Amino acid sequence: MGCQSAYAYQAMAQEVQYEPVAQIGGGAYGTVYKARDRESGQFVALKSVRVQTDQDGLPLSTVREVALLKRLEQFDHPNIVKLMDVCASPRTDQETKVTLVFEHVDQDLKTYLEKAPAPGLPAHTIRDLMKQLVNGLEFLHSHRVVHRDLKPENILVTSRGQVKLADFGLARMYSCHMALTPVVVTLWYRSPEVLLQSTYATPVDIWSTGCIFAEMFRRKPLFCGESEADQLGKIFEVIGLPSEEDWPADVTLKRHNFSPQKPLPFPDHVPEICSKGEDLLKKMLSFDPLRRISALNALHHDYMKEED
Amino acid sequence: MRPEEELTSAAATGNTERVKHLLQSGVNGNGVNGFQRTPLQVMMMGSTPVARLLLEHGAVPNVRDCSTGTTPLHDAARTGYLETVRLLVEFHADSQATDNNNCRPVDLAQLNGHQEVVDFLLSI
Ligand SMILES: Nc1ncnc2c1ncn2[C@@H]1O[C@H](COP(=O)(O)OP(=O)(O)OP(=O)(O)O)[C@@H](O)[C@H]1O
Repeated sequence: MGCQSAYAYQAMAQEVQYEPVAQIGGGAYGTVYKARDRESGQFVALKSVRVQTDQDGLPLSTVREVALLKRLEQFDHPNIVKLMDVCASPRTDQETKVTLVFEHVDQDLKTYLEKAPAPGLPAHTIRDLMKQLVNGLEFLHSHRVVHRDLKPENILVTSRGQVKLADFGLARMYSCHMALTPVVVTLWYRSPEVLLQSTYATPVDIWSTGCIFAEMFRRKPLFCGESEADQLGKIFEVIGLPSEEDWPADVTLKRHNFSPQKPLPFPDHVPEICSKGEDLLKKMLSFDPLRRISALNALHHDYMKEED
Repeated sequence: MRPEEELTSAAATGNTERVKHLLQSGVNGNGVNGFQRTPLQVMMMGSTPVARLLLEHGAVPNVRDCSTGTTPLHDAARTGYLETVRLLVEFHADSQATDNNNCRPVDLAQLNGHQEVVDFLLSI
């Protein structure tokens, strides 16, 4: 109880300190605001989630998740958005609003790519962005955090070209709500195992990173599916239809639902990619999550070592 | 959602396509959202394409934040996005405007170590 009221006091102080200026995201689970920190004058991103409470207060899963985010914050990783503050404000007996205050970065990778003048980003810029992106991911994965929703909109780029990953770590807090309410989410960066609703872990983020790597060259998304099956079809047009042995058991979508395809050479889809880059991309876009390259190995891949 | 609300959110997320569509269908580029902010005040500062669309549709650059006195040029200078700074100035943003702490955009750029922005603002 003491803890709860201390939180409530903090929450009131927080509502005075951070003033929302626009909504930048939202789903069934809660809302994301761009806000101004009145003290520093800087923008912050306020992310709030409504969680169900009982007589014991916040659910253990939420407490753990927040503790994990705070622990990650201690490392002050250069490629992860900073968590500045966390607050819980009880709304009713059954519901508490948990608000996370993140540093706000005023540019995402989508905008960054959109601004790149023709013919696109220079090779050394792509390499630099990839190094930072994979570095941030390797950090999350080494702490057993799966991002699950990596896409150009939540890869932020500061005016100094520093890459910072956002929107990670609340997966469990969110997912219990998401299961109840259909939210429109982009399928374009989803890995085959997610699309097939098979089991999944850290390799899903590597798949997304592969899609984003290709997009840096193309300046448009690699696979733009409109449904799960359509997304898989588009993927197989490029990587080829996987063998029967590689197809996961216990999934509803069967291999015979897709037409046989031979893999196409990547440079057809990804112009200007060098041979080492192509090798890395292939290893990121492996159908089998167990054979997909890890973040740590990607960081040490020859492509990352090349000099421009 | 009110169209003004949609436009400010689209600007804040740097959604160029959406901003363009809303402006072209006649949504007021100077309308405020529920927090009394205009699209230009809350836009993703790194999104020069969004800034350009808003300014070309008559968005007023010299609006001050109701609680801090900050203008969009202050925010662009503080966050260091040079192209957006240039564009705002091109559309007559006041480079000598002061916020409630008596800071000009160039002071904020200086404070945050954005030398290119400082040089540009001092050169005009
Ligand atoms: N720290 C931050 N700084 C700037 N923008 C941020 C930050 N964190 C999140 N965002 C932006 O807020 C937007 C919305 O966040 P979020 O993804 O949680 O909500 P959403 O609308 O449900 O979208 P999603 O489909 O990703 O779940 C994202 O597009 C992201 O670019």
